[in-house]
Amino acid sequence: MQILKDIYALLIGMWTTWKHIFRRPVTIQYPEEKRQPYPRYRARIVLTRDPEGGERCVACQLCSAACPVDCITMQPAEGEGGRRYAAWFRINFSRCIFCGLCAEACPTLAIQMTPDYELCTRDIMDLLYEKEDLLINGCGKDPVYNFYHHAGIAVTQPRGSGGEELSPVDVRGLMP
Amino acid sequence: MPKLIIDDITVEVAEGTTVLEAAHAVDIPVPHFCWHPALGKAGACRVCAVKLLDGPVKGIQMSCMLPAQDGMIVSTTDPEAVAMRRQVIEWLMINHPHDCPVCDEGGECQLQDLTVAGGHSIRRYSGKKRTHVNQDLGPYIEHEMNRCIQCYRCVRFYQEFAGGTDLGVMGSAGRVYFGRFNHGQLQSLFSGNLVDICPTGVFTDKTARFRARYWDYEMAPSVCPGCSLGCNITPLARCRELLKIVARRNDTVNGWFICDRGRFAHSEVNDPQRPRRVLVDGVETGFDEALKALLLRIGEVEEAYGTGSIAIVGSPRLALEAALLLPLLAESAAAGALCYFIDEHEAAVTQAAVTVLETSQSASMSDVGQADCIVILESDLREVGPMMLLAVRQAWKHGAPVFLVGKAAPLEQTACVSVEAITLGFIEEVPFGIFEKPVIICGTKRSPVSDIEYLARAEAKLAFIFNGPDSCGAGLLALEHEGIAFRSAVAAGKIKGVISIEADIPEELLAGIPFVAALDWCSTPAVQSAQIVLPTTAWVEMDGTFINNEGRAQRFRKVMDPGLPVKGFDPACHPPHIHRSVPPGGEARPAWQLVAEIISGLSGEEIRTPFSGKWERLRSLDAESPGTLIHEL
Amino acid sequence: MSYDPIDIALILGKIGLVFFVILTLAAYLVFAERKVLAWIQDRKGPNRVGPFGLLQPLADLVKLLTKEDFRPVGADKWLFYLAPAMAAIPAIMIFSVIPFGAPLTLFSHTIPLQVADLNVGLLLFLALSSIAVYGVALGGWASNSKYALLGSIRGLAQLISYELSMGLSLVPVVMLARSFRLSDIVAAQSGCWFIVYQPLAFLIFLISIAAECKRIPFDLPEAEGELVAGFHTEYSGMRFGLFFVGEYINIIVLGGLAATFFLGGWHGPLLPPVVWFSGKVLAFAFLFIWVRGTLPRLRYDQLMHFGWKVLTPLALVNILATGWFLVLKG
Repeated sequence: MQILKDIYALLIGMWTTWKHIFRRPVTIQYPEEKRQPYPRYRARIVLTRDPEGGERCVACQLCSAACPVDCITMQPAEGEGGRRYAAWFRINFSRCIFCGLCAEACPTLAIQMTPDYELCTRDIMDLLYEKEDLLINGCGKDPVYNFYHHAGIAVTQPRGSGGEELSPVDVRGLMP
Repeated sequence: MPKLIIDDITVEVAEGTTVLEAAHAVDIPVPHFCWHPALGKAGACRVCAVKLLDGPVKGIQMSCMLPAQDGMIVSTTDPEAVAMRRQVIEWLMINHPHDCPVCDEGGECQLQDLTVAGGHSIRRYSGKKRTHVNQDLGPYIEHEMNRCIQCYRCVRFYQEFAGGTDLGVMGSAGRVYFGRFNHGQLQSLFSGNLVDICPTGVFTDKTARFRARYWDYEMAPSVCPGCSLGCNITPLARCRELLKIVARRNDTVNGWFICDRGRFAHSEVNDPQRPRRVLVDGVETGFDEALKALLLRIGEVEEAYGTGSIAIVGSPRLALEAALLLPLLAESAAAGALCYFIDEHEAAVTQAAVTVLETSQSASMSDVGQADCIVILESDLREVGPMMLLAVRQAWKHGAPVFLVGKAAPLEQTACVSVEAITLGFIEEVPFGIFEKPVIICGTKRSPVSDIEYLARAEAKLAFIFNGPDSCGAGLLALEHEGIAFRSAVAAGKIKGVISIEADIPEELLAGIPFVAALDWCSTPAVQSAQIVLPTTAWVEMDGTFINNEGRAQRFRKVMDPGLPVKGFDPACHPPHIHRSVPPGGEARPAWQLVAEIISGLSGEEIRTPFSGKWERLRSLDAESPGTLIHEL
Repeated sequence: MSYDPIDIALILGKIGLVFFVILTLAAYLVFAERKVLAWIQDRKGPNRVGPFGLLQPLADLVKLLTKEDFRPVGADKWLFYLAPAMAAIPAIMIFSVIPFGAPLTLFSHTIPLQVADLNVGLLLFLALSSIAVYGVALGGWASNSKYALLGSIRGLAQLISYELSMGLSLVPVVMLARSFRLSDIVAAQSGCWFIVYQPLAFLIFLISIAAECKRIPFDLPEAEGELVAGFHTEYSGMRFGLFFVGEYINIIVLGGLAATFFLGGWHGPLLPPVVWFSGKVLAFAFLFIWVRGTLPRLRYDQLMHFGWKVLTPLALVNILATGWFLVLKG
C-alpha cells in the first residue's frame, strides 16, 4: 500500500534526524580552536623572491588581467640592468575572492597563495595591501625557479649565457 | 577578372590580387606576418599557407605570393594547410625567447596571437636558441633582436616605403640581423612606425617602455595635433597619463603610418607644469567664482577704457568647437578685436589659402601619393608636415618627378626620404602641361601672399601646409568674421584686456596689457601672466574637431579623463589610499564649454552645441570615418 | 455570586504564574529549537551568550527591543499595530482553561491548578483559536505588501481548514468524557488515556495542531522560499517578536491541550502531577522541533487536499464509529 510506504518513508526520515542529534558536531569553536589548512589552501596572496633574492614579480600584468574582480593593480617600471619590476603593486583584499587565477597566470611564480586566511580588520582601507605588505623574503612553493635564467634576455646574466641559449651571433662573420 | 572559390565562397577580384587579399576581401582570416597591406608581400614567413584543391595550381601554396586565377579552389581549413601553418609557427618559435612577460609587445603581439591560435604551447625542439646582441637605436626605439622572426617588414618599410638608409639586414641563414651598421639613433623621420609594423617585439616604443599592457590602455580614435595634416592616430593612455601614440589607418589622409614627431609628442599633455588649477589673481578658486570674476573684470576694463578695448584671441591649435564660438563671444563682450592668429603674415597667408581652396581642388595625401608630378613650393616639409614627404616618396616611386621651388625649399628634405628632386627657381618653370595629375605642395610660413594668389590659377591640385591642426578652420572663421591678427590689434593701441583661448601669445605683446585672462591647457606666456586662469582639457581629454590642410573636418574622441596623472601624486611610492571621485585637476573643461559659459554670463544666451548654421552637419561626424570636406558642407 | 478575597488573590497568583512560566518557556523554546536543529544538522548551535548559550533568549529580547520599529508606507496604522497582539494574546488566553496539575489542598482550601475551570472550556479553546486567525489575516493585510498579503491569505485558508478537522477530532473526546469541562476530561482519563480509545482522533488532532501553529511541514503562510517571510514580512523589532513568541506560546498551549485531551492531562504514576503535565507538554514541543528538522514543506494544493479530503472525512467517520461503539456499549 502506498500510504504505508509513505508513512514508512516519514519514519525513516525522523529516525535519520534522530540519530544525528547524538552525533558529534562537525563545527569547531573557531577563534579558540583553529583548523590547520592544507598547504595549497587559497588565502592571503604574497609576492615571492627568486633564490638569488631578487623580486620575482616582473609586473607583466597577467595577474591583473586574469583577476575576475579587478583587485590587482600595479605600475611596471624599468630597474637596473633593464629588469622589469613593479614600482607599486596593490591588491585590494576587500575585493579579492581568492580564486587563485592570479597565481595560476603568473609566469614567474612570483604571486602565490598562502594558507593564512585571517585577514579581517576594522578599517576596510587596511585591506589595501601594497607591495611592501605583499613581498616576502622567500621563494614560496618553488625554491629554485628564476625566470630571468630562462627568459632569453640579459638581466641576471650576459646575453647568450642563460639556460638553453647559444652565445650571440657575430653578424659580421663571413662563415656560412 | 579572376573568379575563385575560397572555403566554398566564390570571390571575384581584380587582376593581380593575391589569394590572401581575395580571402581577406570576404572576411576569411589568413594568418600572416610578412605580408602587410601597405608593404605588400615578401614570402618570408610561410605562415599564410593554404591548400589549392583544384585549378591551375595545386597543393600547398603561400597565399600572399600567389596571384588569384580563374578556377582556383582554395581551402584555408584543409588539414594539410593547418598542419603546415602550425609547424611554421613552431619553427618560428624555435629561436624566439621565453620573455613575453617582460616584453612590451606582449598582449598586442601578432606572433603571440598566432602561436596561441596555432595551438603551440610545449617546446619540442631540444636545441639551444640563437641569440643576438642588441643595438642602441636612440631614445625612441628599443631593439631586442632575439625576438626576431625574419619577416623583413622592418627593412621593407624603412628602406622601400620610407626611403631610410641606415637600417638594413645583415648576415645570412639563421643569423639574419636587422639593425644599423653601428649603434646610433635611427635617422628616418618615420622610424617610429617600426614599432607598429614589427609583428613581434623587436622594435618597441622606448618612451613607453614597461608602462602598461594593451588591455589596460584607454584608447579612442583621434587626430594628431602636431601639424596641419591631421594624421589619424590612436593615443594610448593609462592612469590619466598619455603613454604612447600609434597610427590609425585612414587611406585618404595618412594611410597606415605617422611621423615620429606626432608619435613621440606626448610630453606636452603629461607636462607636470600644465595649468590644472583655476586661478584668480594667483589664488585657487572654483570655476563658478572665476567665471564671475571674469565677467566682472570684463565690465571693469570696458568701463575704464571704453568699449572695444577687449581682444578675444584664438589660435590654430584651438579645436573647431571653441573657434566657432569666438565670434559670438566677441559680440557679447563688445570686443574690439577678434583674433585667430597672432602674426599678420600668417593671418594673411592662411586666409588667402583658404580662399583659394574654396575655388580650386585641394589634394589629400593620397592624391599626393598618386600624383605624376610634385612641386614643393617654398617649404621644408621636414618641419611643417613630415608625413607629406612619405606621400611624395610614394609618388616618386611610381615615377613622378619632384620639383623644389623657392629658396625655402631645401634639397635635404627630399634626400631624407631618398627622393631625387629637381630644384627650380620659379614655379613658372614647371612644365605642368605634360602631366595629368600634378600636385603643388605649398607651405604658408614663408610664401608671400602673391604666391598663393598665383596658385589659384595653376592647373594642379593644391596641398597647402598650415601652421596648426585647425589653421584651416581658424582661417575660414577669420575670413567670415573679419578677424585681425593680434599683433596689429595691439599695435593699434586700443586693446587693454585680452581673453586668450588656447592662444600662443608672445610675452612682448602682453607687456602693455593690464588685464589678461587665459583659457588653456599649455603653460603659455599668457597663462603665466594672466590674472584669471581657467584650465581647459587637452585634445586627448575631450571630443573635438580639427580641419586639416585639405579642408577635411575630422573628429577626435576623448581618450582619458583630465586630471593629474597617478604617477604625479607621489612618483616614489604607490598612489594614496583616498577615495576621490574627481582627481586633482580633474575639473578642467573643454574650451568651448567655458566659452559658452562666458557667453551665457555676458548675454544670457544658452549654447548647447557649438555647431549651428552651415556647421550643423559636423555634429554627427564619425571619428572612425575618413572625415568630411568642409567645402562640401 | 460572591468571591472570597483569598480566591481572587489565588486566581491572580495563578495568572501571574502562568504568564511567567509560559513566556519564559516560550523564550527558551526558541533557544531549544535552535539547539536541537543545530544538533540535527551536526552543528553546535548558539553557545556564546552565557554558559552553554543559556542567556541567548535574553540577548534576543534585547536585540528585538532595540531594533527600529518600522511601518511600511501605506500600511493601515492601527491594524498593523494590533495584529501582533491579536496573534499572541488569544494563544496565551487558551491556557486559562487547561488544568496543569491535580487540585491542591492547602489549609482546607482546595485549589484547582487551573486558572478558570469553565464548563465550556473546550469551546472556549476553539473560539480563541479562531480569533488567533485574525492576527495572521490582519497582519498580512495591513502591511500593504504583496508577500505579506499572500502569506495571510494562505494562513487564513489553512487555519480555517484545519480548525475544522481539529474540532471534529475532539468530538469523540467529548463523547467519551461527556463534558466540555477540561477538568472533567482529565478526570475521565484517570484510568485509561483517551489515546488508547482514540488513536485516530489523536493523530488527526496532532496533525491539525501542527497546521494551527503554522509549523513545518505546514508553514505555508511564512514560506521563506517564496514569500520572504509571509504574513510578517514587514514587521520588525518587538512586533515581529510578538508574532514569533506567539508561535511558541501556541506550541506550548496546543501541546498542553493534546496532553489534556489524549494523554490524561496531569495523570501519571509516581511523579507529581505538575511534572507529568510539563513533561508531556515538552515532549510535544520536542516532537514539533524534531518534525521541523526532518520534513520538507507541503505544496499548497497538497495541504488543502489533505485537510479537506483526508483529515475531515476521517474525523467524521471516527465520530460515527465512536457513537456507534458508545450506543452498542449502552
